[in-house]
Amino acid sequence: MSPKHVEQMYDALIVGAGAAGLSAALGLLRSERITAMIQSGTTPKILVISKLQPLRSHTGSAEGGIAASLGNVAKDDWHWHYYDTVKGGDWLVDQDAAQLLAQEAPATVINLERSGVAFSRTADGHIAQRKFGGHTAQFGQQPVPRAAYAADRIGHQILHTLWQQCVAQGVEFAEEWYVTDLVLNEHRTQVQGVVAYDTHTGTVHALHAHNVLLATGGAGRLFHTTSNSWDLTGDGMALALEAGLQLEDSEFVQFHPTGLAHTGILISEAARAEGGVLRNSDGEAFMQRYAPEHADLAARDVVSRSIMAEIDAGRGVPDPKDPQGPHDCVWLDMTGIDPDHMHAVLPQVVETIKEYAGIDPTKQAVPVKPTAHYTMGGIPITTDGEVYTWVDGERRPVAGLYAAGECSCVSVHGANRLGGNSLLDACLFGNRAGAALASRIADTMGTDDTVTVHSTTDDETTGASPSDDAVAAAAKARRNELQTLLTAGGEADDRADAESTPQQPATKDDNAYQLLADLGAAMERALAVRCDSASIDAALQLVDGEFATRARALHTHSDAPAFNQEITAIWEVRHMLELARTVLCASDARHESRGSLKRTDYPERDDEHYLAHSMTSRDGAVQWQPVHIVDMPPQRRDY
Amino acid sequence: MNGNDETRALVTLRVHRFTPRAERNRSRSGSPFAKQSSPFGSSSARRPRGKQWVQDYELSVLPDTTILDCLLTIKRTQDPSLAFRYSCGHGMCGSDAVAVNGTPTLLCTAKVKDWATPDRQAAIDDDGFRKTASADDASPAPVQGGNSLGVIELAALPGFPVQRDLIADIDPMLEQIKRLKPYLQASGKLATTKDGNVDVFEYLQQPEQLAAYETLSNCIACGVCEGSCPVFAGGEAFIGPAALITASRFINDSRDTAADARMDAIDTADGIAACQSVRACSRQCPRGIDVGEEIWQLIAKVKERQ
Repeated sequence: MSPKHVEQMYDALIVGAGAAGLSAALGLLRSERITAMIQSGTTPKILVISKLQPLRSHTGSAEGGIAASLGNVAKDDWHWHYYDTVKGGDWLVDQDAAQLLAQEAPATVINLERSGVAFSRTADGHIAQRKFGGHTAQFGQQPVPRAAYAADRIGHQILHTLWQQCVAQGVEFAEEWYVTDLVLNEHRTQVQGVVAYDTHTGTVHALHAHNVLLATGGAGRLFHTTSNSWDLTGDGMALALEAGLQLEDSEFVQFHPTGLAHTGILISEAARAEGGVLRNSDGEAFMQRYAPEHADLAARDVVSRSIMAEIDAGRGVPDPKDPQGPHDCVWLDMTGIDPDHMHAVLPQVVETIKEYAGIDPTKQAVPVKPTAHYTMGGIPITTDGEVYTWVDGERRPVAGLYAAGECSCVSVHGANRLGGNSLLDACLFGNRAGAALASRIADTMGTDDTVTVHSTTDDETTGASPSDDAVAAAAKARRNELQTLLTAGGEADDRADAESTPQQPATKDDNAYQLLADLGAAMERALAVRCDSASIDAALQLVDGEFATRARALHTHSDAPAFNQEITAIWEVRHMLELARTVLCASDARHESRGSLKRTDYPERDDEHYLAHSMTSRDGAVQWQPVHIVDMPPQRRDY
Repeated sequence: MNGNDETRALVTLRVHRFTPRAERNRSRSGSPFAKQSSPFGSSSARRPRGKQWVQDYELSVLPDTTILDCLLTIKRTQDPSLAFRYSCGHGMCGSDAVAVNGTPTLLCTAKVKDWATPDRQAAIDDDGFRKTASADDASPAPVQGGNSLGVIELAALPGFPVQRDLIADIDPMLEQIKRLKPYLQASGKLATTKDGNVDVFEYLQQPEQLAAYETLSNCIACGVCEGSCPVFAGGEAFIGPAALITASRFINDSRDTAADARMDAIDTADGIAACQSVRACSRQCPRGIDVGEEIWQLIAKVKERQ
C-alpha cells in the first residue's frame, strides 16, 4: 500500500515496521497529548515507511519469548532481571537504561497482552513464562522462568498484534518503499527528512519531516551464515553513517550457537532448555568442560565460542548433506528428550529441522553451527530514543531524530544480549521513543498552527527557497543515480526483449546479489565468533578495494523501473559495505575480548582501557564514551 | 559445491514472466473520442499492461533444495532481473506465495523433489491445449536423461493481479482483512480484589479458552488460501478465506467483546454466503490451519444465532 498523496511536510516519519517501528507509532498515537490533539481536530501527519509489507517484518521470526519479571510461575524481581542483563552484557551495559528495561518490562508485556497477543497461559489463566539462558533468581543463583511466550511463535504474535492495533489507529503506511537518504541540516544538529524510493513505481520521493524515527532492524546479512531474513541489511545504521553520524558498539555481533547447518536458520535456545546437548565428533558433551555450572545453557557468546574452539581443534563434523565439505558443525543431540514432550513444547523447532535438514530430531543428531543473529550496537540513542553524536566528551543530540529497536543502541545489551531481551528492547524503547516524539510534536504544534505548510515551518529546519532545500537536492541526486543504474547496462534494452533468446542469461557481468554473497563470506572469515588484527585487515582490504570497485560498477539488468528489485539490492549492498567497514574498524580498535567480541590476539577483558562504548564514524575514527555504571561495578563473568 | 555431485540433478524452472510497461503520464482529460471503459466491469482497466513470456532456467541442485534457494541462485548466477518476493526463507513471514505447477504454496517450503515433473511441453500443442487420451499421457516418456528431475512451473499467485514476474498485488486481501476490524476489542476492565485494588493486570484466559482460537492466530496472511479458492476473485465480491479466518480468530477469543458485530459484518452475500465449501483453501495452508473446516464452523456459529 502506498499513501494516496505525499504531504509537503510530515510531523513524523517512522522508517521500519517491525516491533520497534510499530510500537513507536502506537506510543505516539496513544499518548495523552496526541489523543487530545486529534480529538480537538488536529491530526498530526505521520507516515510509516517500510521496505517490506509490515507483516513480513523479521520480528515475526522470533521464537522463544519476551523477558519480564512478572513472577507468574515463580517468584521474580526486576532487580534480578536488571543484574542478569548487566552481567550478560559483560558490564558494557549502560545501567540506567538496563534499569528502565527491567523495571518497565512487566508493564510492556501486559500492554501487549491487552492489545491482543495470544500468550500461552498458566493453568489459572495468567501469562505463562519459561526459563531462558542467563535469566536467574537471586542475582545469579538459579534459573528463573522469566520469558513470557506464545508456544514458540512469540514474535509472530507480537508483530501481528502491533500491526492490528495500528490498523485500529488508522496509521498510514508506505509499503515496499526503500529509504535511500537521511537528510540533516548542515551542522548535523537537526533532521530535515528522508529520500524514499517507491519500488512499485520506481519513483523517488523527497519527504520533508520535523521528526524522523529509524527502526530498520539489524544487519545479520553482513554474514553468510545468519538467522536473519534477507532484508536485514543494516539500512538504518548505514543511513546514519552516511548522514555523518556515529555508530555505537558496532563491533558486537551476537552469533547464536545453534543455526541449522548451512542454512543458518535458528534452532531456538528452547531446544537446549528442554534437554538438547551439544556433542563433538567424538560424541563428547563438550559444554561440561567449558561451563561446568550451566553447560549447554551458558550465555550465547560462551556457547558459540566453545563450539568454535571444538571446530578449530579438529573435532567438528561435516554437514551430512555435504559429507566431503568442511568439518565446521557440531551435533545438537535432542534424542534424550521424550518424543511426545518434544512435539508438545517445540513444534516449530521439530518442523524446521525436518523441513530443512531432512532429519528426525527424536532419532538423529542435528548438525549446527553458530549463526549471525543480533547486532548489539547501532545508532546511539538516549533512553527517550533521541539520536546523538559523541563530541568533545558530550552527547550532542540531533533534534527531531529518533531511533529504536535493533538498529539502535541505548546500550541495554552491552557486549552480549540475553535471550528474551530483544523483543523487550524493541517494544519498550520503541514505545518510549514514540511518546517522546509525541511530546515534541505537541510542543511545536502549540506554537505554530501552520506547521504542515512547508514554506512557513521553523526557518531553521527547512528554509523557504528550493535552492537550499537539502531534501529535494538529495532526492534529485538519487533520481540521477537511478537513471544511471537503469541504463548503465547498455544492452539492457535488448535483454528486456529476452523472449527470443531466453537461454542467454547474463552470467559474466557482476550483480548486487553476487557481491552480497562475497561480502558475507569475507565478513564471516574475518569476524565470525573470533577475530584478530590480521583477519580484520584482510577483510578491510577487500571492502575498501575489490568490493568498493565492484559496488561502484553495479547496474541493473533490466531497464524497467517498476518492481525492479535489483535497484534496491544495489543500494542495500552499498549500504552494507559502508556498515561492514565501520564494524571492522570498531573491532580493530578494541584491544580486548568482551562478550561477543573474541580477539585471539587480545584474549582478556581490559576494564582499565575499554570499559567504554566505541563511537565510530564513517571515516573509521573511533571515540570512546564511558559506560554508565550506577550501582553494579564490573565483576568476573562466569557461567 | 564440494564433492557430493553424484546426488545433484538437473531441474528446469519454467517461469511465467511479466514486465509492466513504464507508466506514461496519460492525460486523463484527453480526447472525447477515447475508448470508453467497458460497462461490464473494470477487469481490462485493472490488468497491468506489459510484456508476458515464459522463460526456462536450468540448474543443478540437490533434490531437497527449496525452490526459493533455486531462484536465489538464478538471481545470483543467471538472471538478476527475475523478480519474486522473499524475506525470512523459512515459512514464517508469508511473503513468497506463488503458484507452483498451478498450486499456490510458499517458495521457501516447496522442495524440488516434491514438485519436479517430467517435461510434457511436447504434449501441449501450439494453442496451449494438452492432448487427451493419448498413450503418452498415461506413461510419460522420460524426456531428459537419467540425471534430470524434470520441470517445475512457476507463476504469480492466482486470484490477484500480477505486478512483475512472480510478484502479485495482494493489497486487496489486506484491505478485506482490515475492513473487518482485525484487532482485539476488549472490555478494558481491570480485575480487582475485594477491597477494590487492582489485582491482575492482564486479561485472564484459561488454556482451553486460548485453544479455541490459538491456531487461527497463527495465520501469516500469505494468501495461499485465497489463491486456492475458486470463488475468490482478487478483492471483488467474496471477502475471501483469509479475512474470514481473521474474523473467526477474534470471534473465538474469550477476551473480545465484539463477536456480534463481527458476525453481522460477515453475514452478507459477499461474506460467508459466498463460500461454496470447496475446501481447496485447506490443502496448502503453511500454518496447518484447516481453513475450510474453520469457515464451516464459523458459518454454523453465525446461523445458530438466528
